[in-house]
Amino acid sequence: MTSRWKAALDRGLGDRRSRALGILLIAFAVIGKLALLSYANLEPIFAASIIAGSVLGRWWTVIVPLAAMLILEPIEWGSLYPGYALDAIGGVTFFVITGFLFVGIAGRRLRPRVAFRVGSLALLTSISVPLTIVYDVWTDVGDWYFLLRHAGESFGTVLEMQIPFTVYHILSSLIFVPLFGAAFTFLHYHLAEVRATGEDAQKAGAS
Amino acid sequence: MALSLSERQKAILFAAVLIPAIGGLYATTQLIQPAPVQATTVDFVRLDIGGDGWSIHYGPTNTTNNTAFGLLLEASKALSFSVRWSNWTWPAGVLVTAINGAANGLDDRFWQYWVNGRCGNVAADREAIRSGDEVLWNFTVITCG
Repeated sequence: MTSRWKAALDRGLGDRRSRALGILLIAFAVIGKLALLSYANLEPIFAASIIAGSVLGRWWTVIVPLAAMLILEPIEWGSLYPGYALDAIGGVTFFVITGFLFVGIAGRRLRPRVAFRVGSLALLTSISVPLTIVYDVWTDVGDWYFLLRHAGESFGTVLEMQIPFTVYHILSSLIFVPLFGAAFTFLHYHLAEVRATGEDAQKAGAS
Repeated sequence: MALSLSERQKAILFAAVLIPAIGGLYATTQLIQPAPVQATTVDFVRLDIGGDGWSIHYGPTNTTNNTAFGLLLEASKALSFSVRWSNWTWPAGVLVTAINGAANGLDDRFWQYWVNGRCGNVAADREAIRSGDEVLWNFTVITCG
Protein backbone atom coordinates (compact mmCIF):
# COMPACT_ATOMS: atom_id res chain seq x y z
CA MET A 1 0.00 0.00 0.00
CA THR A 2 2.75 2.41 1.01
CA SER A 3 4.73 1.65 -2.12
CA ARG A 4 1.63 2.29 -4.25
CA TRP A 5 1.19 5.73 -2.69
CA LYS A 6 4.87 6.44 -3.11
CA ALA A 7 4.72 5.42 -6.75
CA ALA A 8 1.71 7.67 -7.30
CA LEU A 9 3.51 10.57 -5.58
CA ASP A 10 6.60 10.02 -7.68
CA ARG A 11 4.55 9.98 -10.85
CA GLY A 12 2.61 13.07 -9.84
CA LEU A 13 5.44 15.18 -8.50
CA GLY A 14 8.17 13.98 -10.83
CA ASP A 15 11.87 13.83 -10.05
CA ARG A 16 13.83 16.06 -7.68
CA ARG A 17 14.39 18.59 -10.41
CA SER A 18 10.64 18.99 -11.00
CA ARG A 19 9.92 19.21 -7.28
CA ALA A 20 12.60 21.84 -6.72
CA LEU A 21 11.40 23.90 -9.68
CA GLY A 22 7.77 23.55 -8.58
CA ILE A 23 8.56 24.92 -5.14
CA LEU A 24 10.70 27.66 -6.66
CA LEU A 25 7.83 28.61 -8.97
CA ILE A 26 5.43 28.87 -6.02
CA ALA A 27 7.98 31.04 -4.18
CA PHE A 28 8.40 33.36 -7.18
CA ALA A 29 4.63 33.67 -7.55
CA VAL A 30 4.08 34.47 -3.87
CA ILE A 31 7.04 36.83 -3.45
CA GLY A 32 6.29 38.52 -6.76
CA LYS A 33 2.66 39.13 -5.84
CA LEU A 34 3.53 40.37 -2.36
CA ALA A 35 5.98 42.83 -3.86
CA LEU A 36 3.25 44.06 -6.24
CA LEU A 37 0.30 43.94 -3.87
CA SER A 38 -0.78 47.51 -4.52
CA TYR A 39 -0.67 47.07 -8.30
CA ALA A 40 -4.05 45.80 -9.43
CA ASN A 41 -3.86 42.92 -11.87
CA LEU A 42 -0.08 42.61 -12.01
CA GLU A 43 -0.20 38.85 -11.63
CA PRO A 44 2.97 36.78 -11.29
CA ILE A 45 0.63 33.91 -10.32
CA PHE A 46 -0.82 33.91 -13.84
CA ALA A 47 2.66 33.50 -15.32
CA ALA A 48 3.56 30.87 -12.72
CA SER A 49 0.40 28.90 -13.54
CA ILE A 50 1.00 28.81 -17.27
CA ILE A 51 4.66 27.88 -16.77
CA ALA A 52 3.79 25.20 -14.22
CA GLY A 53 1.54 23.56 -16.78
CA SER A 54 3.75 24.00 -19.83
CA VAL A 55 7.19 23.28 -18.31
CA LEU A 56 6.61 21.06 -15.27
CA GLY A 57 3.27 19.44 -16.06
CA ARG A 58 2.11 16.58 -13.82
CA TRP A 59 0.51 17.61 -10.51
CA TRP A 60 2.39 20.91 -10.57
CA THR A 61 -0.20 22.17 -13.04
CA VAL A 62 -2.62 22.30 -10.11
CA ILE A 63 -0.27 22.54 -7.12
CA VAL A 64 1.50 25.76 -8.18
CA PRO A 65 -1.59 27.99 -8.60
CA LEU A 66 -3.42 26.39 -5.66
CA ALA A 67 -0.49 26.67 -3.27
CA ALA A 68 0.25 30.25 -4.29
CA MET A 69 -3.38 31.25 -3.83
CA LEU A 70 -3.69 29.46 -0.46
CA ILE A 71 -0.74 31.47 0.81
CA LEU A 72 -1.73 34.77 -0.75
CA GLU A 73 -5.51 34.97 -0.39
CA PRO A 74 -5.58 35.56 3.39
CA ILE A 75 -2.83 38.15 3.03
CA GLU A 76 -4.50 39.98 0.14
CA TRP A 77 -7.95 40.10 1.66
CA GLY A 78 -6.48 41.12 4.99
CA SER A 79 -4.31 43.92 3.69
CA LEU A 80 -6.07 45.19 0.56
CA TYR A 81 -9.68 44.64 1.58
CA PRO A 82 -9.69 44.74 5.36
CA GLY A 83 -13.16 44.36 6.72
CA TYR A 84 -14.70 42.67 3.67
CA ALA A 85 -17.45 40.25 4.57
CA LEU A 86 -16.69 36.54 4.29
CA ASP A 87 -19.35 35.56 1.78
CA ALA A 88 -18.11 38.14 -0.73
CA ILE A 89 -14.54 36.90 -0.26
CA GLY A 90 -15.47 33.23 -0.69
CA GLY A 91 -17.43 33.70 -3.86
CA VAL A 92 -14.88 35.85 -5.65
CA THR A 93 -11.99 33.62 -4.52
CA PHE A 94 -13.62 30.56 -6.13
CA PHE A 95 -13.59 32.26 -9.52
CA VAL A 96 -10.02 33.52 -9.10
CA ILE A 97 -8.65 30.11 -8.14
CA THR A 98 -10.51 28.23 -10.87
CA GLY A 99 -9.32 30.88 -13.33
CA PHE A 100 -5.69 30.18 -12.47
CA LEU A 101 -6.32 26.43 -12.62
CA PHE A 102 -7.71 26.87 -16.14
CA VAL A 103 -4.57 28.82 -17.10
CA GLY A 104 -2.38 26.02 -15.73
CA ILE A 105 -4.33 23.40 -17.65
CA ALA A 106 -4.12 25.49 -20.82
CA GLY A 107 -0.36 25.62 -20.30
CA ARG A 108 -0.31 21.85 -19.86
CA ARG A 109 -1.77 21.47 -23.36
CA LEU A 110 1.22 23.38 -24.72
CA ARG A 111 3.80 21.24 -22.90
CA PRO A 112 4.87 19.09 -25.86
CA ARG A 113 5.78 22.26 -27.75
CA VAL A 114 7.75 24.00 -25.01
CA ALA A 115 11.55 23.83 -24.90
CA PHE A 116 14.32 26.28 -24.15
CA ARG A 117 13.85 27.99 -27.52
CA VAL A 118 12.81 31.48 -28.54
CA GLY A 119 9.90 29.98 -30.48
CA SER A 120 8.55 28.35 -27.32
CA LEU A 121 8.80 31.57 -25.33
CA ALA A 122 7.10 33.44 -28.15
CA LEU A 123 4.33 30.83 -28.18
CA LEU A 124 3.82 31.07 -24.40
CA THR A 125 3.87 34.87 -24.49
CA SER A 126 1.44 35.07 -27.40
CA ILE A 127 -1.02 32.59 -25.92
CA SER A 128 -0.90 34.43 -22.60
CA VAL A 129 -2.72 37.43 -24.11
CA PRO A 130 -6.00 35.68 -25.04
CA LEU A 131 -5.71 33.56 -21.87
CA THR A 132 -5.47 36.77 -19.84
CA ILE A 133 -8.64 38.07 -21.45
CA VAL A 134 -10.48 34.78 -20.87
CA TYR A 135 -9.31 34.75 -17.24
CA ASP A 136 -10.52 38.30 -16.70
CA VAL A 137 -13.92 37.57 -18.23
CA TRP A 138 -14.24 34.47 -16.01
CA THR A 139 -13.40 36.38 -12.83
CA ASP A 140 -15.81 39.10 -13.92
CA VAL A 141 -18.55 36.47 -13.76
CA GLY A 142 -17.68 36.03 -10.09
CA ASP A 143 -17.47 39.77 -9.45
CA TRP A 144 -20.81 40.32 -11.13
CA TYR A 145 -22.56 37.42 -9.41
CA PHE A 146 -21.26 38.02 -5.89
CA LEU A 147 -20.71 41.77 -5.80
CA LEU A 148 -22.71 43.65 -8.41
CA ARG A 149 -25.71 41.58 -9.54
CA HIS A 150 -27.84 42.48 -6.56
CA ALA A 151 -27.39 46.16 -7.38
CA GLY A 152 -28.89 45.64 -10.80
CA GLU A 153 -25.60 46.09 -12.64
CA SER A 154 -25.51 44.22 -15.94
CA PHE A 155 -22.67 41.89 -16.85
CA GLY A 156 -21.94 44.21 -19.77
CA THR A 157 -21.26 47.07 -17.36
CA VAL A 158 -18.89 44.87 -15.39
CA LEU A 159 -17.01 43.98 -18.57
CA GLU A 160 -16.77 47.66 -19.45
CA MET A 161 -15.36 48.52 -16.01
CA GLN A 162 -12.86 45.68 -16.41
CA ILE A 163 -11.17 47.17 -19.49
CA PRO A 164 -8.43 49.24 -17.78
CA PHE A 165 -7.68 46.36 -15.42
CA THR A 166 -7.31 43.99 -18.36
CA VAL A 167 -4.80 46.44 -19.86
CA TYR A 168 -2.77 46.15 -16.63
CA HIS A 169 -3.15 42.39 -16.70
CA ILE A 170 -1.99 41.97 -20.30
CA LEU A 171 1.01 44.18 -19.50
CA SER A 172 1.75 41.91 -16.56
CA SER A 173 1.54 38.78 -18.75
CA LEU A 174 3.82 40.26 -21.41
CA ILE A 175 6.44 40.98 -18.74
CA PHE A 176 6.23 37.95 -16.47
CA VAL A 177 5.50 35.11 -18.91
CA PRO A 178 8.64 35.56 -21.04
CA LEU A 179 10.70 36.44 -17.95
CA PHE A 180 9.63 33.48 -15.81
CA GLY A 181 9.29 31.30 -18.87
CA ALA A 182 12.89 31.88 -19.96
CA ALA A 183 14.22 31.36 -16.46
CA PHE A 184 12.29 28.18 -15.75
CA THR A 185 12.71 26.52 -19.13
CA PHE A 186 16.44 27.24 -18.87
CA LEU A 187 16.58 25.73 -15.38
CA HIS A 188 14.41 22.79 -16.40
CA TYR A 189 16.50 21.80 -19.39
CA HIS A 190 19.86 22.84 -17.96
CA LEU A 191 19.30 20.72 -14.85
CA ALA A 192 18.30 17.81 -17.08
CA GLU A 193 21.56 18.19 -19.03
CA VAL A 194 23.61 18.42 -15.84
CA ARG A 195 21.96 15.25 -14.55
CA ALA A 196 22.45 13.41 -17.85
CA THR A 197 26.13 14.45 -17.95
CA GLY A 198 26.57 13.27 -14.39
CA GLU A 199 24.96 9.91 -15.14
CA ASP A 200 27.11 9.44 -18.24
CA ALA A 201 30.24 10.23 -16.23
CA GLN A 202 29.22 7.70 -13.59
CA LYS A 203 28.64 4.99 -16.20
CA ALA A 204 31.98 5.78 -17.86
CA GLY A 205 33.72 5.57 -14.46
CA ALA A 206 32.03 2.27 -13.63
CA SER A 207 33.05 0.69 -16.93
CA MET B 1 12.33 29.17 -49.99
CA ALA B 2 11.51 29.45 -46.25
CA LEU B 3 13.41 32.07 -44.26
CA SER B 4 15.63 30.34 -41.70
CA LEU B 5 16.57 32.41 -38.64
CA SER B 6 19.14 31.55 -36.01
CA GLU B 7 18.13 31.51 -32.34
CA ARG B 8 19.88 34.84 -31.86
CA GLN B 9 17.95 36.41 -34.73
CA LYS B 10 14.70 35.00 -33.39
CA ALA B 11 15.52 36.42 -29.96
CA ILE B 12 16.17 39.86 -31.45
CA LEU B 13 12.94 39.71 -33.44
CA PHE B 14 11.00 38.59 -30.38
CA ALA B 15 12.45 41.41 -28.29
CA ALA B 16 11.76 43.90 -31.11
CA VAL B 17 8.08 43.00 -30.99
CA LEU B 18 7.70 42.48 -27.25
CA ILE B 19 9.45 45.60 -25.94
CA PRO B 20 7.39 48.12 -27.95
CA ALA B 21 4.23 46.20 -26.98
CA ILE B 22 5.16 46.49 -23.31
CA GLY B 23 6.08 50.15 -23.79
CA GLY B 24 2.81 50.91 -25.50
CA LEU B 25 0.74 49.19 -22.84
CA TYR B 26 2.69 50.90 -20.07
CA ALA B 27 2.10 54.28 -21.72
CA THR B 28 -1.62 53.44 -21.87
CA THR B 29 -1.70 52.59 -18.18
CA GLN B 30 -0.09 55.93 -17.35
CA LEU B 31 -2.63 57.80 -19.48
CA ILE B 32 -5.57 56.21 -17.69
CA GLN B 33 -4.27 57.04 -14.20
CA PRO B 34 -6.44 59.62 -12.42
CA ALA B 35 -4.59 62.87 -11.67
CA PRO B 36 -3.68 63.68 -8.05
CA VAL B 37 -5.51 66.60 -6.36
CA GLN B 38 -3.52 69.65 -5.32
CA ALA B 39 -4.23 70.63 -1.73
CA THR B 40 -6.06 73.94 -1.39
CA THR B 41 -8.25 75.44 1.29
CA VAL B 42 -11.98 74.98 0.84
CA ASP B 43 -14.71 76.57 2.97
CA PHE B 44 -18.03 75.39 4.33
CA VAL B 45 -17.92 71.86 2.96
CA ARG B 46 -20.28 69.32 4.45
CA LEU B 47 -19.82 65.60 5.03
CA ASP B 48 -22.69 63.18 5.70
CA ILE B 49 -22.11 59.50 6.37
CA GLY B 50 -25.04 57.09 6.21
CA GLY B 51 -24.32 53.76 7.88
CA ASP B 52 -26.30 50.78 9.02
CA GLY B 53 -28.85 52.53 11.24
CA TRP B 54 -26.52 55.39 12.13
CA SER B 55 -25.35 58.63 10.57
CA ILE B 56 -22.53 61.09 11.09
CA HIS B 57 -22.41 64.73 10.08
CA TYR B 58 -19.37 66.95 9.85
CA GLY B 59 -19.05 70.48 8.57
CA PRO B 60 -15.74 72.29 9.08
CA THR B 61 -15.57 76.01 8.44
CA ASN B 62 -12.52 75.47 6.29
CA THR B 63 -10.15 72.65 5.52
CA THR B 64 -7.18 71.82 3.33
CA ASN B 65 -8.38 68.22 2.99
CA ASN B 66 -10.11 69.02 -0.28
CA THR B 67 -10.90 65.48 -1.44
CA ALA B 68 -13.81 63.19 -0.62
CA PHE B 69 -11.40 60.87 1.19
CA GLY B 70 -9.39 63.58 2.92
CA LEU B 71 -12.55 65.09 4.37
CA LEU B 72 -13.68 61.64 5.56
CA LEU B 73 -10.34 61.06 7.31
CA GLU B 74 -10.48 64.48 8.91
CA ALA B 75 -13.96 63.74 10.21
CA SER B 76 -12.86 60.33 11.54
CA LYS B 77 -10.13 62.01 13.60
CA ALA B 78 -12.35 64.84 14.80
CA LEU B 79 -15.31 62.61 15.72
CA SER B 80 -13.37 59.46 16.69
CA PHE B 81 -14.76 56.82 14.36
CA SER B 82 -12.73 54.28 12.42
CA VAL B 83 -12.04 54.25 8.70
CA ARG B 84 -10.29 51.37 6.94
CA TRP B 85 -8.97 51.59 3.44
CA SER B 86 -6.44 50.07 1.07
CA ASN B 87 -3.91 52.01 -0.97
CA TRP B 88 -3.49 51.21 -4.65
CA THR B 89 -0.67 52.19 -6.96
CA TRP B 90 -2.34 50.93 -10.13
CA PRO B 91 -4.87 52.42 -10.50
CA ALA B 92 -3.67 55.15 -8.17
CA GLY B 93 -5.96 55.86 -5.27
CA VAL B 94 -7.60 54.51 -2.16
CA LEU B 95 -10.48 52.13 -1.68
CA VAL B 96 -12.48 52.70 1.50
CA THR B 97 -13.41 49.29 2.87
CA ALA B 98 -15.02 50.05 6.22
CA ILE B 99 -16.35 53.06 8.12
CA ASN B 100 -17.23 52.93 11.79
CA GLY B 101 -17.04 49.13 11.73
CA ALA B 102 -19.37 48.61 8.75
CA ALA B 103 -17.37 46.62 6.20
CA ASN B 104 -17.81 46.33 2.45
CA GLY B 105 -19.69 43.22 1.39
CA LEU B 106 -21.91 42.99 4.47
CA ASP B 107 -25.39 42.17 3.17
CA ASP B 108 -24.14 43.06 -0.33
CA ARG B 109 -23.59 46.68 0.68
CA PHE B 110 -20.53 48.77 -0.03
CA TRP B 111 -19.25 52.22 0.80
CA GLN B 112 -19.79 54.66 -2.04
CA TYR B 113 -19.53 58.41 -2.19
CA TRP B 114 -21.40 61.23 -3.90
CA VAL B 115 -20.39 64.86 -4.31
CA ASN B 116 -23.32 67.22 -4.69
CA GLY B 117 -25.51 64.27 -5.59
CA ARG B 118 -23.18 62.99 -8.31
CA CYS B 119 -21.69 59.51 -7.95
CA GLY B 120 -17.93 59.42 -7.52
CA ASN B 121 -16.28 57.57 -10.38
CA VAL B 122 -12.65 57.91 -9.33
CA ALA B 123 -10.84 56.93 -6.16
CA ALA B 124 -12.05 59.11 -3.30
CA ASP B 125 -8.62 60.68 -2.80
CA ARG B 126 -8.68 61.76 -6.45
CA GLU B 127 -12.08 63.45 -6.21
CA ALA B 128 -11.54 67.14 -5.57
CA ILE B 129 -14.12 69.08 -3.59
CA ARG B 130 -14.74 72.82 -3.70
CA SER B 131 -16.05 75.35 -1.23
CA GLY B 132 -19.68 74.68 -0.40
CA ASP B 133 -19.67 71.08 -1.69
CA GLU B 134 -21.67 68.37 0.01
CA VAL B 135 -20.05 64.95 0.28
CA LEU B 136 -22.13 61.90 1.10
CA TRP B 137 -20.67 58.52 2.05
CA ASN B 138 -23.40 55.91 2.02
CA PHE B 139 -23.33 52.20 2.92
CA THR B 140 -25.67 50.69 0.38
CA VAL B 141 -25.98 48.28 -2.53
CA ILE B 142 -23.83 49.35 -5.43
CA THR B 143 -25.53 52.12 -7.36
CA CYS B 144 -22.49 53.90 -8.74
CA GLY B 145 -21.25 52.18 -11.90
